[in-house]
Amino acid sequence: MNTLPGRAPMEHAVVRLEHVSKRFGDTLAVDDLDLSVPSGQFVSFLGPSGCGKSTTLRLLGGFERADRGRIVLDGEDVTDIPPNRRDVNMVFQDYALFPHLTVARNIAFGLELKGEGRAAIERRTAELLAFLELGEFGERKPDELSGGQRQRVALARALARDPKLLLLDEPLGALDARLRAQVQLELKDIHRRTGKTFVFVTHDQEEALTMSDRIVVMNEGRIEQDGTPEELYLRPASRFVASFVGETNFVEGTVRGTDGGVTTIDWHGIDVRGVARGFTPLENEPVTGALRPESVVLHAEKPPGGAFPGRIASRLFKGSRTTVSLEAGPAGGGGRLLAYLEPELAERIEEDRVWIDWRAERLSILP
Amino acid sequence: MTRWTRVTMSVIFWAFVVYLFVPLVLMILMGFKDSKFIGFPIRSWTLEWYVDVFRDTEVLGVFLYSAAIALASTAISLVIGTWCAVLIGPRRFVGRAALFALVCLPAVIPGIISAIALRIYARLLEIEPGMLAIVLGHAVHNVPFVALVVLARLATLPASHVEAARDLGADEIVAFFRVTVPYLRPALIGASVFCMLLSFDDFIRSFFLGGYQPTLPVLIFAKLRSGMSPEINAISTVVLVLTAVLGLWAERSSRRLARTKPSGAA
Repeated sequence: MNTLPGRAPMEHAVVRLEHVSKRFGDTLAVDDLDLSVPSGQFVSFLGPSGCGKSTTLRLLGGFERADRGRIVLDGEDVTDIPPNRRDVNMVFQDYALFPHLTVARNIAFGLELKGEGRAAIERRTAELLAFLELGEFGERKPDELSGGQRQRVALARALARDPKLLLLDEPLGALDARLRAQVQLELKDIHRRTGKTFVFVTHDQEEALTMSDRIVVMNEGRIEQDGTPEELYLRPASRFVASFVGETNFVEGTVRGTDGGVTTIDWHGIDVRGVARGFTPLENEPVTGALRPESVVLHAEKPPGGAFPGRIASRLFKGSRTTVSLEAGPAGGGGRLLAYLEPELAERIEEDRVWIDWRAERLSILP
Repeated sequence: MTRWTRVTMSVIFWAFVVYLFVPLVLMILMGFKDSKFIGFPIRSWTLEWYVDVFRDTEVLGVFLYSAAIALASTAISLVIGTWCAVLIGPRRFVGRAALFALVCLPAVIPGIISAIALRIYARLLEIEPGMLAIVLGHAVHNVPFVALVVLARLATLPASHVEAARDLGADEIVAFFRVTVPYLRPALIGASVFCMLLSFDDFIRSFFLGGYQPTLPVLIFAKLRSGMSPEINAISTVVLVLTAVLGLWAERSSRRLARTKPSGAA
């Protein structure tokens, strides 16, 4: 089971997916998924389109029915429970606000169906309007609001019934870049203030890294990696995760040997060091190492240790950093690497002949 | 477009407008002529024919009878038509085209054939010729129009709206009445006015399915047989004005309502 060490044990999971599969025609959208979401977390499903993240979300919401497996919500098997009888609410990608109802009536919709008294509904609606800073918009119709305001109405409506789990289906996808950054912060803040469990679907790795307590990277209906943003970024478990989250250098070579947890691999005739993730590399085994561009360290003079010579093939000044293309080998021509340098450091290295180095644990060796 | 084609186009357009309206204008004019004979020249004008029409309790009764039939048949076709549209739905499935064709069929069957068929059928079901038979006949004929209009609107309803309603605690029926039906409102208004006008205007089905009590078109037809009179022009003018006003109002209000588009993320 994919629980994180040190986090709430499985019994306290708000929701648990057990060997869930979902097929659409010939495609297996979700393939034997096993996952549990601890209470109060902001969990993101991240992956390219068609990876099964939205289907998983719709399975949680009850809009799709699992072909196999079980979904357990707060200890109750909800696999075959329709959405209207699940204690889960969703913020839809297009917000799905009812155009014929005012903002206040949209928010009250779920409360009315719950059969609550008029006074209770009014109180809760006012509370939510205030909570999401929509106070003055209660009597407006959805088409009189801006994109960001609509998104907040959708959020208020989904929170109204006090669900155990809030599902968010790429709710920022339609906002422009500047608004999106602001709404990301707002959403994070709302998560903190409600203390609810959020399950967020996105294909935007930066968004997932910014907002999540935990990211579940999916590909072809399966979980590639499940961990904190830092774990994912610094210690990707697969080539897919390394390439999907952030920029990565892939260092492909054969294993020469392992000593004290550090594995040396032969990369275009040069010995480079890395740390194997989740497997024991055998000698002469072909492997791939993932190395973030900012982990590459350049020196003008040969430093002590395992640095190797290389040549700067091109420099691109990007303001906050300089992107440098490197070729390994004393005269270049070896393996290629991308490195991010602080502009000041890049300026100091005038010569194109450099020494390349990195800390062994920054190169994740993958099977 | 050159200047000449533009001029030619507008001349053709205005010629068409004249061709369209001259008969109507003639009909209206003759209703104000102070003579039993229809035709030019008009020597003196009168409102006498209109006074007659409004005094004539038979005409008034027939008018109300036709209106009642229009309302009742529209109500039935609205329910059945919407139901058909929802059944066909915007989604594809095996046999959808066949079902669609079946629903549309009553709209394309020639009126005389459908009238005769309905007459025989009503006989078989032991429905007396009269109001009920006409209402049912009109309803059958109007269902396709409702279904088509509702289907077009239904296709623009994002699936997420119904899902959102389900998510917020509505079962399928509640979601339909609280989200789908309000969304369909402009289509329903437009369709019902169109159905009322179709029913009010229908001669052939009303003629075949009616009893002793005539509908308005049937009455006008009966009056014509005893000779053309300016009274008929007066009745026709009143009907023309009423239906035009109703039609234009419906057009305008359903167009305004149709602007209540799903306000998604934008």
